[in-house]
Amino acid sequence: MPENSIFASFLADQGYALFECLGQGQFSAVGGYPDWCEKLWGAPKGREKTLRLAEQSPFLENFLVDAEGFWNSKRKGAASSPVWIERDSENRETPLEAWALRLEGKKVLIVRDLSSTYAERQQLYQTARDSLLEHHRLLREIQKKEILLHCIIHDLSQPLNAMRGCFNILATENLPGEQRRMVETGQSESVRQEQMIRGILEAFSADLATQQAPSGEVPDAPDLACCAQRVVEQMSPAYQERGLRLQVDARLDLSRDWKVAGDAPRLERIFGNLLENALRYTPKGGAVTVGVEDKVHCLLAFVDDEGPGLPKDATPDRLFALFAKGKDRPGKAGLGLYFCKITVERWGGSIGAENRPGGGSRFWFKIPRAMKAAKDGGAKQSQPEKPREARAPGPFTIGKATRKLRVLVAEDTDVNRELVTELLHKRGHSVVAVEDGRKAVAALAKQRFDVVLMDEQMPGMDGLEATRAIREMERSSGKHQLIIGVTGNVAAEDNERRIEAGMDGYLTKPFDMQLLFKTIESGSAAVPPPAPAPAPIAQESASTPAAAESVADHLRRASGGNEKLARSLVQSFLADAPKKMADIRRAVAQKDAARLGSAAHAFKGAAAIFGAPAVVAAARNLEAMGKSGTLRDAENEFRTLEAEFARLHAALLALAPQSKSASGKSPHKRKQ
Amino acid sequence: MLSKKVCMLGSSSVGKTSLVRRFVESIYNEQYLTTIGIKVDKKIVRAAGQDVTLVLWDIHGDDAFQKVQISYLRGMSGYLLVADGTRRHTLDEALALAARTAETVGKIPAILALNKCDLAAQWEIDADREAKLAAGGWTIFRTSAKTGESVEQAYLKLTELMLKK
Repeated sequence: MPENSIFASFLADQGYALFECLGQGQFSAVGGYPDWCEKLWGAPKGREKTLRLAEQSPFLENFLVDAEGFWNSKRKGAASSPVWIERDSENRETPLEAWALRLEGKKVLIVRDLSSTYAERQQLYQTARDSLLEHHRLLREIQKKEILLHCIIHDLSQPLNAMRGCFNILATENLPGEQRRMVETGQSESVRQEQMIRGILEAFSADLATQQAPSGEVPDAPDLACCAQRVVEQMSPAYQERGLRLQVDARLDLSRDWKVAGDAPRLERIFGNLLENALRYTPKGGAVTVGVEDKVHCLLAFVDDEGPGLPKDATPDRLFALFAKGKDRPGKAGLGLYFCKITVERWGGSIGAENRPGGGSRFWFKIPRAMKAAKDGGAKQSQPEKPREARAPGPFTIGKATRKLRVLVAEDTDVNRELVTELLHKRGHSVVAVEDGRKAVAALAKQRFDVVLMDEQMPGMDGLEATRAIREMERSSGKHQLIIGVTGNVAAEDNERRIEAGMDGYLTKPFDMQLLFKTIESGSAAVPPPAPAPAPIAQESASTPAAAESVADHLRRASGGNEKLARSLVQSFLADAPKKMADIRRAVAQKDAARLGSAAHAFKGAAAIFGAPAVVAAARNLEAMGKSGTLRDAENEFRTLEAEFARLHAALLALAPQSKSASGKSPHKRKQ
Repeated sequence: MLSKKVCMLGSSSVGKTSLVRRFVESIYNEQYLTTIGIKVDKKIVRAAGQDVTLVLWDIHGDDAFQKVQISYLRGMSGYLLVADGTRRHTLDEALALAARTAETVGKIPAILALNKCDLAAQWEIDADREAKLAAGGWTIFRTSAKTGESVEQAYLKLTELMLKK
């Protein structure tokens, strides 16, 4: 190999050092020995000016094994090393890279000083890894928020459950006409509120896209035209109020089959969202027309308005994006059209909007026909679909069960436990109620029950743990206890946990009392369809004072005006809350995340009965911190909780005479 | 003097380089600078009554951008498997890397360092998981390159294990 070749000079200039392997671990530099090599490995020694590189560098010692393997093989190309860092005697670092190759039959080792390019390369990796870290950080943030949202949903479910229970109980009383009407209004409004919560959840549900789309073969596939007509009827008053006309397209033949692959409640919500949108943009005196057209393999539904048309910069992506809001007369949260898009697309359809030739805009969506309907041809039932029972409950009657059951109710929230117990008693069942999983297990060991209603989140032993314990006990007996979970957690993974624990089914809070009776009396585990994952609900202001009056109002509503129940709740809370606060304080001080999660959950459930939004918000935040294991801000949040709890405590102390005087009777005349 | 090659293994950004620097130079740098290659350091320790030179191979993080090549591990007497206790998934990744290592080099002394233990409030690895790993044969240290907590102990324990082998 020519030592002074131009090639060798060029390589040296570019930071390369060439060595020829002479055997026995000896190397000689080819085309000169660069200064940086000398700083790292010293000068070549002996008459032959050779180096023992393996002795100079632990990294090269390792790489030369690979190099030797390459030189002794018939492989072409080169064996390359990763980047490595060598230090000189002054501790200065030099990044290097090496290749072993054969040149003119000789074993050649090339080492390159990467100093000139290393910073750039490192910057590239640094950016990539920083981005990866940020990605993971954001994922964790999202997870934390999901946990917080689970807590919020649980909170929203709890009082609603109590309210519905109270309404249901009141409905069984022999009330005069006006009061009965008010109770029925309360019943239907609480159902509506539940549906609104679920609606928001669906719009946000990250699982929505992965949920199984309807097969389109269901016998009760919804009729698109009937849905359109129903929504038009429901929304006509709102249109009239604004001086607008809302009409079904005159060409629409309602006697035809318009069945599609979807479900009626969501279809109606899609129409409702599109009509709300049209309502905002159509000028007074204008008309909005809803129609359905047959497009052979799919059905097209449209909403035509007489508004200003779409903005120039409006693209489908923008119009139907999450949180998209119009510049003029915007909607509420930018969820409506987004919900339409994700729902229609989940059903295999598409959605869009365009300007109409004569002015105004058309919002449309296409959905595949229901398979069964397509096979049937065209005939359909003449009766329009009846709304689901849950959507418009009639007067509630509890009635008597045909068979008396022994029911074990495990529920930590006092008001819920009392309500369920009372409802089941009125139905004719015998009930044993306990407040945690451990007591439920103990009760089952002593006594037989036909069914267990097991709240999922309870202090101490929760519902899942208790279920596991019960299943473990059954391994020796071979019996199977029917266990129905009661929960506010509705995500798919929550259901997996229930199944894994051994629950036979579950009811979501607030549950429908008829569904409760049907579930326990049929002896089967009727599992409601999985509800979507939780969604962001605006948090109450943490600074809202827990004034005595607002607490009293809330308590009156939650207890259905049952003063005895209300008084009992206040007393037990005042007695128990300091212990719960001490639990939380200890968990924060000891940085015990699991304990903080359960202690804050228990406290939150108790405080929620009195409204107390600031207390509930602080407890919920602590619960979320505990569950996510992120306690960084726990001490600050606990201080907030302490301050808010002090206000609530004062309000409750002030409340006692008010609650007693609400009925106009003096407290000492009342039986406890 | 007896010399032992010790590799630092784990995902990127878990603190391998910081642990080495803390151990060798008693230095901690708050700024995160990614390692893109291999850096070899040496430190003499005294264990079981004798001086041992630990040749510490600080290897870049194993991730989507760079994979640890098994050839780097040649001649390794033991390794420090490092996970970031504030990022649970780095433990899963570290254990997967350990399994890959075991397939190639067999069972050799190793220590599991759950690093960044100074960030207790952000800790994501629960005690149950740690207990199960310990029961499964892992010697575990909760370390902090930042404060120096258990860093020396982890390396010394590894040295003892290597000497016993």
